[in-house]
Amino acid sequence: MRKLMGYELRKLFGRRLTQAALLAAVLFSALFTVSTYQNKYASYGGRQASGGEAVALDKEVAARYAGELTDEKVRQMMDELAPKSGPQGLNAIYLYQNAMQSAVTARFSDMYGNWNGLRVAEVFGEEISIGYVDGWLSASRDMEKSFLFLSFAILIMLAPVYSGEYGGVDNLILASRYGRTKCASAKALAGILAAVLVTAGMLACNVGAAYLLYGREGLDCSILFAPLALTEGYIPFNITCGALLGYQALLSLTGAVCTAGVGLVLSAACRTPMIAVVASAAVHIVPTLLPVAESSPLFRLLALLPVYQMQFEALMSLGQLKAGMPYAVLALPVSAGILAVGYALSRRIFAAHEVA
Amino acid sequence: MELKTVELTKQYGKKKAVDCMNITLTEGVYGLLGANGAGKTTLMRLLCALQRPTGGRVLLDGQGIGSLGEEYRGLLGYLPQGFGYYPNFRAIDFLLYIAALKGLEGKAAERKARGLLEEVGLSREAKHRIRTFSGGMKQRLGIAQAMLNDPRILILDEPTTGLDPKERVRFRNLISAFSKGRIVILSTHIVSDVESIAERILVMKSGRIVHCGRPGEITSEIRGQVWECAIPAEQADRYVAQMNVSNLRNERDGRTVLRVIAGDKPMPNAELAEPNLEDLYLYYFREQDTGGGQVRERDSLAAASGAAPGHRASRDNGAPAAEGLSGEASGCGRDGEWKGGDVR
Repeated sequence: MRKLMGYELRKLFGRRLTQAALLAAVLFSALFTVSTYQNKYASYGGRQASGGEAVALDKEVAARYAGELTDEKVRQMMDELAPKSGPQGLNAIYLYQNAMQSAVTARFSDMYGNWNGLRVAEVFGEEISIGYVDGWLSASRDMEKSFLFLSFAILIMLAPVYSGEYGGVDNLILASRYGRTKCASAKALAGILAAVLVTAGMLACNVGAAYLLYGREGLDCSILFAPLALTEGYIPFNITCGALLGYQALLSLTGAVCTAGVGLVLSAACRTPMIAVVASAAVHIVPTLLPVAESSPLFRLLALLPVYQMQFEALMSLGQLKAGMPYAVLALPVSAGILAVGYALSRRIFAAHEVA
Repeated sequence: MELKTVELTKQYGKKKAVDCMNITLTEGVYGLLGANGAGKTTLMRLLCALQRPTGGRVLLDGQGIGSLGEEYRGLLGYLPQGFGYYPNFRAIDFLLYIAALKGLEGKAAERKARGLLEEVGLSREAKHRIRTFSGGMKQRLGIAQAMLNDPRILILDEPTTGLDPKERVRFRNLISAFSKGRIVILSTHIVSDVESIAERILVMKSGRIVHCGRPGEITSEIRGQVWECAIPAEQADRYVAQMNVSNLRNERDGRTVLRVIAGDKPMPNAELAEPNLEDLYLYYFREQDTGGGQVRERDSLAAASGAAPGHRASRDNGAPAAEGLSGEASGCGRDGEWKGGDVR
């Protein structure tokens, strides 16, 4: 079985289209990361910086206020960082000078840049630890886009697992002793393994790049005290950046195996890899096109589908279960179910396939 | 070992590719002859359990091949027509992959694969990628993969396609040496291949086996109907258009010698010739007429004489029925169908 899996993995990664799709996903990911890093901007104390210097400046500012967020610290930040109303009376909340300033004004400023009177307990309901989280949260956002791309690359990679054999090799495989049994299983297992491997690889690359660009700072800080662009529509409960990354890693992997499950079934059911790609991409993306509001109970079910798991933020934004765990953990049993069905069904369809 | 089909039928829409077939195959080499669309490939796929029959069964020693599953497929070697391959695989890797599918492992698989590459003349190309292979080389690789597991039942669909004469001879020798104690079924359009390898010929037409016998005997069907006659070369085209000509040979003296299959002496100077398998093939599978698209086949004569199609000649000319015909009704028994019973 292991030997057959080895051959299947070799076939999977040996295809030009797969290589091109994976390379494109890596390039897009690198592009997102570099672009985000290059576009970082910060100004503080009369200094202005962009790119790596902006990150350094943001870290410098964050270091001044790092630790537990208190009402005193909020007022201190408002005094020292909050800009007053900008040109043409622009709402001060939307003015951006640096990550810490944007974080504090997003939560504690009125439109003129004055303290809005809210206390930490009223805004967050609990004590939170603050620091430089802008880097890791930006990396997380980039990963979200990268994993969405990657999910399509996975579908392209898995489309020929079964359907690629229907061009003639199915004659040889299905007439051989283990063609309908061990080979069918090896194909499914290799497909799932390949999906997990490329996702883990992409995850490692992204986390490695983020570590190199942003360092360790902020991993133990709350995601709630973040610049405005990273808080709007974002995860509404208190977890650290490190925990967030952990959930993102978990959901990207569950999303990958789910995607693999769907992709394998359609690969087995479609006559050609091209039809399998189109069909699986359509099935993958359809949930995001449905006219279902995020406030709808139906969305809570849709969000457990692979495309949302790969995007992760939409799923994480659905809050927590009663036990305090994120709702997103429900993706685990859902993924296991989709994976089991995908594995069994694809194997069965292939084993019952009649050559034409 | 006995491979048997019982009223085996495969239907695509209204067309019956295999029509209520009853044959019993025991050890030996069987040559399957038939025109395009006769149902040869479908029959082979049914025997390999690659397609589900619309009706009937395939039995190995009395057991349905479907229920035997892996056990049956473990006995099987199959070379499909125009099989697919993995262009990026090296020849040896491809064979090792197929070996793994067939349950061969480790050094035994490697030894077997290398031995077969040697036997089909590809040992020097063992590490070449398949995408660099010619059609004939791919075909030889296909033959090698079919024999990897020393199959007891070897089914080869058009195995000599793309092979040059030397390779065809090599293939014949390989099959002859291999066939002892096994069932080997091969289909081909190259009649001479079947003639030299097959112990028995199955002639298939419209989804039915219309004749079976040893090569020497089966041609006796048309003894007395194969003629050779010399004509002026400039008249050759006219005669070819009008008659069922199996061969045409230009002589140095400006004459052309035609080999004609005809019930009656086609011209005064015609002389009877010893029939061969190619003549028989043409006898059964004459192309459609150029006019109204009506098929000019001997079946019309068969019907006229009241005999079953394809079997008429042997009965008409008194030749013995091909060996192995049980003479027992097969059970399909519709009007106009060959009722010779099992082919053995």
